[in-house]
Amino acid sequence: MQARLISALFLFGIASHWLVAAEPEKNEYQWKLPKGFPKPYVPADNPMTAAKVELGRYLFYDTRMSVNGKASCATCHKQELAFTDGRGIGLGATGESHSRGAMSLVNVAWSASLTWSNPEMKSLEKQALVPMFGEHPVELGLREGDKFLPTLRSDAQYRALFERAFPEDADRFTIANVTRALASFERSIVSARSPYDRYHYERDDNAISDAAKRGEILFFSQHLSCFRCHGGFNFTDATVSGRNPERAVEFHNTGLYNVPGVLSYPEPNTGIYEYTKAREDAGKFKAPTLRNIAVTAPYMHDGSIPTLEGVLDHYAAGGRAITSGPHAGNGHDNPNKDPLIGGFTLSAQDRSDLIEFLKSLTDEALLHDPRFADPWPKAKEKP
Amino acid sequence: MFQRFSFLRFSIPAVISLGCVFAQAPPPPQGGSKTLTVSGDIAAPITLKAEDLAAMPREKVSIPDQDGTRVEYEGVPLIEILKRAGAPVGNQLRGKALATYVLAKAHDGYEVVFTLGELDASFGNEKILVADKRDGKPLFGYQGPYRLVCPADKAGARSVRMLETLEIVRLQR
Repeated sequence: MQARLISALFLFGIASHWLVAAEPEKNEYQWKLPKGFPKPYVPADNPMTAAKVELGRYLFYDTRMSVNGKASCATCHKQELAFTDGRGIGLGATGESHSRGAMSLVNVAWSASLTWSNPEMKSLEKQALVPMFGEHPVELGLREGDKFLPTLRSDAQYRALFERAFPEDADRFTIANVTRALASFERSIVSARSPYDRYHYERDDNAISDAAKRGEILFFSQHLSCFRCHGGFNFTDATVSGRNPERAVEFHNTGLYNVPGVLSYPEPNTGIYEYTKAREDAGKFKAPTLRNIAVTAPYMHDGSIPTLEGVLDHYAAGGRAITSGPHAGNGHDNPNKDPLIGGFTLSAQDRSDLIEFLKSLTDEALLHDPRFADPWPKAKEKP
Repeated sequence: MFQRFSFLRFSIPAVISLGCVFAQAPPPPQGGSKTLTVSGDIAAPITLKAEDLAAMPREKVSIPDQDGTRVEYEGVPLIEILKRAGAPVGNQLRGKALATYVLAKAHDGYEVVFTLGELDASFGNEKILVADKRDGKPLFGYQGPYRLVCPADKAGARSVRMLETLEIVRLQR
């Protein structure tokens, strides 16, 4: 009897230990990534927590994040458009236009570099400062020392959110903590539930149409070679992960323009030349993810191609010919054009199949997922 | 005349109808061929089916894919397929035979080359696999049904997908 009791206590001890060990660390973020998706790189000074993600979501959708209360991050990054804005070029809170379009934030946790053409911008925390405080152009229009932080501090809801997100900080209401929370929310926006994911990773042959399957084969073919710049699970060549946090990002001149002059691309959108000042870098931009591409029109860095069909025509021609106006020129002959942009022929069937494949990358669940939706009551959007 | 008229009367709609059928039902999606052919400078070409490969010596390799996740491929070592086709490997790989290469061709026209020397155990001993499974499941779509896996390569460009033909070319006899 005593032996049985000792055995039972021993087993209880083991079970208790196992239960404690199996319980996630308090506040640890659960990625719940599907097969094929590596754990993202997360900077050591901003570990993911559910509390930071939640605070980041409130900040992301808060129009008090702008100089005049008219814009938030979500103004240019709308969930239903895969966190783009449907515009060719962005529009700031004060009405100032950006020169480039808002990039999708989907799967940005795996981005080796951020923005269209800044090879040095690799931190979501640092990048958040650009729309917040940038002046060329003004996006949200905040200024250091203005009422933004006191406003957050005076809000009871934010006091609770900041306390949960940064419980050990003496002063929680700092710009650094705001950007940490925003970056955490952005990292949480994972798109992995498209029909293509069900076909490719879950082997559900009925998840996509035969046309999309034919389109996939074309996409990955030698003939078209789309995958060379838009490859991997995230359909881009600028992907990093927790295991491989460093990657030399390639930027590509796709022959979109060929204007007279030494730079061949119309200013101010000269690509990474803006940072490297090397002429051969003019017109080189990052290859963005193609996930959800069907809902992120218009396309290219300046939104100058309105449809996916137009994008296919551009690549099939090996560059865009503009016959009149200030940007007239044949992009096919751009001196910095990536050799991969050689052009190809497509039958009408091929074209249609490729479009179907690209549409199969749309993650409808993401576009309506309440975890990424505006948490504010509607009235608070327009204070 | 009547017969000719009848032919026209019935054949034109038939042609239109056939056209509609083709327009509505394009060919089913297909990656590479379901067979792997070994041809070129060997006694006779061979064609391997899935069941042939299943019965040959098989190996597994675990490699990181381009995004860092580890993927396990399973299949037949390329050298075993070359041996079965009668290519000069092992003791036969000497002298002029060392000027022999394998041209791996894919369904989409992609081609890469391996020399027999880099594959043979006495020389390069590169463990290149003709894979038909990834993570335990048959390759499909743009990857399959067969692909090369080159674990020692730093870049993935020789890991030919939709592999269809291995052509053996002897430069000297």
